Amino acid sequence: MKVKVKRKWNVVAVWKWTAPDDSCGICRQAFDGCCPSCHEPGENCPIVFGKCKHCFHMHCILKWLGQPQDECPMCRQTWEFQ
Amino acid sequence: MSSSITPARKRLMKDFKRLQEDPPQGIMGAPVENDIMTWHAVIFGPEGTPFEDGAFKLTLTFTEDYPNKAPVVKFVSRVYHPNVYKDGSICLDILQNKWSPTYNITGILTSIQSLLDEPNPNSPANAEAAQLYRENRREYERKVRDCVEESWSSDEEEEEDEDEDGQDGDDDDDGADGDAPDADKPDAAEQ
Repeated sequence: MKVKVKRKWNVVAVWKWTAPDDSCGICRQAFDGCCPSCHEPGENCPIVFGKCKHCFHMHCILKWLGQPQDECPMCRQTWEFQ
Repeated sequence: MSSSITPARKRLMKDFKRLQEDPPQGIMGAPVENDIMTWHAVIFGPEGTPFEDGAFKLTLTFTEDYPNKAPVVKFVSRVYHPNVYKDGSICLDILQNKWSPTYNITGILTSIQSLLDEPNPNSPANAEAAQLYRENRREYERKVRDCVEESWSSDEEEEEDEDEDGQDGDDDDDGADGDAPDADKPDAAEQ
């Protein structure tokens, strides 16, 4: 079978965060979107994992930690970045 | 485009959408007009409990720190319960030291609904209710039924038709209606 590649083709790329959930448990916005403090998704609004495997927008978990809590909002284990 | 909408307000819009789309049984809530930071809610007493048929009104007040800080939640209706103060404040761990930013309004209201029939007598906000709950369940339930009947009257409108048969005269007024005279209308039965 012969495959002919036409010259004119448009390359489209998509990206996705690899996360077990669709949305951040703190802000409830989609991980493929961004946290409510940011304006555009991408590496400036990353998601982060704890050692407990729970993940959140980095900006969301940082606002929660240290005021004065240090627990994962999901499982209440002491939060440690993975 | 929506740069003026704060994270707290965005989150409350999400909560509102969630509550509209998937309302738990016996729970209603919505922000007041033009202020998404203040909500009115109604919790119906769970079936098969002394609180059954009660329609208890609450207010929820949020700050810009939501969801990192819990809202202030208060009953507007009088609720006779070991963990509810006379002013309507609620003693519930998830609203205090066990708050998590993953909770939303649906979860808060559902927890309060469960608390109605599952009081925690170890942290009493109403000492008398806690004691009766432990030692005289029949009298406790009678007092609960009183507040259930009270919850049906529309105290906000101050309506004239006072034909509801609540307020039996032998209600020993141990200060219960001293804090909210406008809501209780203790003289209504006397006319």
